[in-house]
Amino acid sequence: MTVPAASGVAIGDSVTPFSRTVTQEQIGAYADASGDHNPIHLDPEFARSVGLPGTIAHGLLEMGILADAIAAWAGGNANLLSLSCRFSKPLLPGDTIICTGTVVSVDDAGVATLEVGASSDRGDRVLTNGRATVRLSR
Amino acid sequence: MPDRSHIGRRYSAPGQRIAPDSAGAMARAIAGADEVREAGAVPPTYAAVYCLGPTLAQLFSDPEVGIDLAGLIHGEQSFEWPTPVHPGDVIDATAEITSIDTKRGMTFVRLAMEATRPADQAVVCRATSLMIVRALA
Repeated sequence: MTVPAASGVAIGDSVTPFSRTVTQEQIGAYADASGDHNPIHLDPEFARSVGLPGTIAHGLLEMGILADAIAAWAGGNANLLSLSCRFSKPLLPGDTIICTGTVVSVDDAGVATLEVGASSDRGDRVLTNGRATVRLSR
Repeated sequence: MPDRSHIGRRYSAPGQRIAPDSAGAMARAIAGADEVREAGAVPPTYAAVYCLGPTLAQLFSDPEVGIDLAGLIHGEQSFEWPTPVHPGDVIDATAEITSIDTKRGMTFVRLAMEATRPADQAVVCRATSLMIVRALA
């Protein structure tokens, strides 16, 4: 994996386009892997009973995919120093999540700050107010 | 229901071992139908397992706070990873309720977490979570 060089990254640069379709099977695998078996993620009837359109993906699964997108651009997980976001809209099984990121600053230590986010292919902005910091190579 | 008297409550989950199988299962779950991008590495958001999961489980089962899980929504999340973790690491996690506000029938519970690796005293994750408890009709 190549780590982008600080000298080659400019304000306004974008993270490599990244999308992934999230299935109910994947949400189930994430429930097992994370230990979060809240029925809003697994049981459509229960999810509807609490006002949701059906089961929804875990916010942290979406955030994990966003982290994957940024780390892929940054040349590895270890270069992702921080990530934050708001879980604004639910991602539903069958939706494709589309992750984006734009460099907003690069400091003297070679750390880039990015505005990041994700939307669904239905046009919902699922992850908003996102920020990430990434270590670049010197 | 959570109220402001619960601010400052702390939850502690020492000795969280990062099992390679468990970290790999999360990497595969995040990858879905795609290939795992970095095989053998611990995904950054695996902090959900060694930091959030074991401390939030204590919050959610704290009878004094009384959170109704059926109305619970994860509103916001932040992570900082000062030092990467590796399979086999043992991590101590703590969480503290830092604020509780009620607006429009919803209760906003903010927490700050920290995860450290006692073997080298490294802070491996700092996190904040916003949990929203909706009053269900």
